[in-house]
Amino acid sequence: MQIIISNHSKEPIYEQIYAQIKKHILTNELQAGQFLPSMRQLAKDLDVSVITTKRAYEELEKNGFIFSVVGKGSFVSEQNNELIRERKMKVIEEQLVAAIQNSKEIGIELTELKELLTMLYKEEI
Amino acid sequence: MFNLVLKDILLQKKTLMILLPILFFYLFTGASTSYVAIIFCIAIIMNAFALDEKSSINLLLNSLPYTRKEIVSSKYIGAIVFIILVLLTIFIGNWIIHGEIIQWKQLLFTISIVAIFVSLSFPFSYLLKSQYLMIAMGVSFVIYMIIANKFIPDINDRIREAVQTVLSFSNSQQYLLLFLPVVILYSFSWMLSIRIYSKKVF
Amino acid sequence: MENVIELQHVNKAFNGFQMKDLSISVKKGFVTGFIGGNGVGKSTTIKMIMNLLQPDSGTISLFGMDYKKHEKEIKQRIGFVFDDNIFYENITLAEMKQMIKPAYKNWDDAIFKQYVDMFELPLKKNIKTFSKGMMMKASLTMALSHHAELIIMDEPTSGLDPIFRRELLDILHDLMQNGERTIFFSTHITTDLDRIADYITFIHNGQHIFTKEYYKIEEEYAIVKGETNLLDRDTEKEFIAIRKSNHGFEALTTNKKRTEDIFGETVIIEKPTLEDIMLYTKKGRENDVQSRS
Repeated sequence: MQIIISNHSKEPIYEQIYAQIKKHILTNELQAGQFLPSMRQLAKDLDVSVITTKRAYEELEKNGFIFSVVGKGSFVSEQNNELIRERKMKVIEEQLVAAIQNSKEIGIELTELKELLTMLYKEEI
Repeated sequence: MFNLVLKDILLQKKTLMILLPILFFYLFTGASTSYVAIIFCIAIIMNAFALDEKSSINLLLNSLPYTRKEIVSSKYIGAIVFIILVLLTIFIGNWIIHGEIIQWKQLLFTISIVAIFVSLSFPFSYLLKSQYLMIAMGVSFVIYMIIANKFIPDINDRIREAVQTVLSFSNSQQYLLLFLPVVILYSFSWMLSIRIYSKKVF
Repeated sequence: MENVIELQHVNKAFNGFQMKDLSISVKKGFVTGFIGGNGVGKSTTIKMIMNLLQPDSGTISLFGMDYKKHEKEIKQRIGFVFDDNIFYENITLAEMKQMIKPAYKNWDDAIFKQYVDMFELPLKKNIKTFSKGMMMKASLTMALSHHAELIIMDEPTSGLDPIFRRELLDILHDLMQNGERTIFFSTHITTDLDRIADYITFIHNGQHIFTKEYYKIEEEYAIVKGETNLLDRDTEKEFIAIRKSNHGFEALTTNKKRTEDIFGETVIIEKPTLEDIMLYTKKGRENDVQSRS
């Protein structure tokens, strides 16, 4: 599992960790039931404080991405994954619809919109 | 606490290595054994004391799992250990070199003098610092000289006489009776030092 | 969560300054960085925690025990590192170990050897010849060789080169792996704390200003920069202290969200460093004193 942290980002470190693990889960890079490193191990590996990874794990757990078993550690949750994907898909659909509506209002063609989308998609990491 | 005594002996190891042969040398020259013994005991005991006086060492000792009571007590027990060590060396040395056995009365006399010195100097050094001890001794010497000159001109003779009387006690019981105040003084000094040291800040 | 160190309403007058109603707690299993300027009472606080000084009033407990009854038990469980050399100078490290070892029930020669090897410390050289860095490594070795549950360090990184400072932080990370250990250390090199500190305890002039999770500081505090004409009697109240110049102002807020609401896009809001927080707190307190007198 790759996690890259920036110390100079405006985003707090725990949020960076949270976002990247979440991404790994949503892209199925981390699969349901898979074991996550202990928060102390992860803190050491990332050279950040324990409380930072603890906060990231707590957020992940709160939002149903992972679950923890006392004495065993944290695991990627299973049931919610599909749900989250579906929910995300719905959000994306809504946002795209809004974009399409806006485009139509000012007369942007589908090809032009596609181009714009491709360009933006490639710019974002 | 005995770890602390052991620590003092370890620290004095090198000093002891040098001092004990010198002690033997003195015995060869036939100097007064009591006198030599007293000087050596005091030198070793005060050296051990001075080494632990630095505030950084107090920081160390007090941060280790020892109580202040133990730190002070180790010094008093250590003093006894050093006295025994020196006397034992002199006893054996004298026996080997001169083939004579030192009288136990003479040993007791030496112990008493050293114990009195320790009883006075330890609380004083805990209160101030052992480096002031020399000054204090200088001052008392001056006072002593003034007293000797002005008030009691024959004080030296009197002291000598008193020592002679003490040494010539034939009765063992009398001897032990004289030793008792020394023990009491030593214990009192011990308690006093604990009190002083408990209030110290580093 | 369990507290390993707990100071409650501690008052102490010492060396011409005062600790006032100091209440600090240090959580088990975490690293707490102890910050504050020079002469604000960090060392005095650490000495009180180590029972080298007794408070005039208030209570201090470690592992839930107090020093009056359990001094030895408590100290058995502490590993300490001081800024100064606290070892005898004219002996070797091997001899020094021989003196410290019997004091601890849980002394572990294997761990001692492991650190001596790792730090490349000479066992047979006089401690007097040690450099500041070696001294620190030697202290750390002693502190870590008896399975201490609480490591207390007074300015451990001062006088160390940046490379060893990083190595030290790695060692601390390793120590924290089992979750049973607690580290409390004072420092004025605050950048070291970014990587390891879970909590920050900040004191100023003998008073406890805050103990917070490190990330909370970043959430709550912010440096605000903007044009001087944005400041008036009301908006100035938002800040702990303000530095004004001909070209604008810079100020510290303890309520980032509200400040954002008030000023919106008209100002630049930045993450504060711990140094910013220390500096502005000091400035703010001085202004308070001035305005009152």
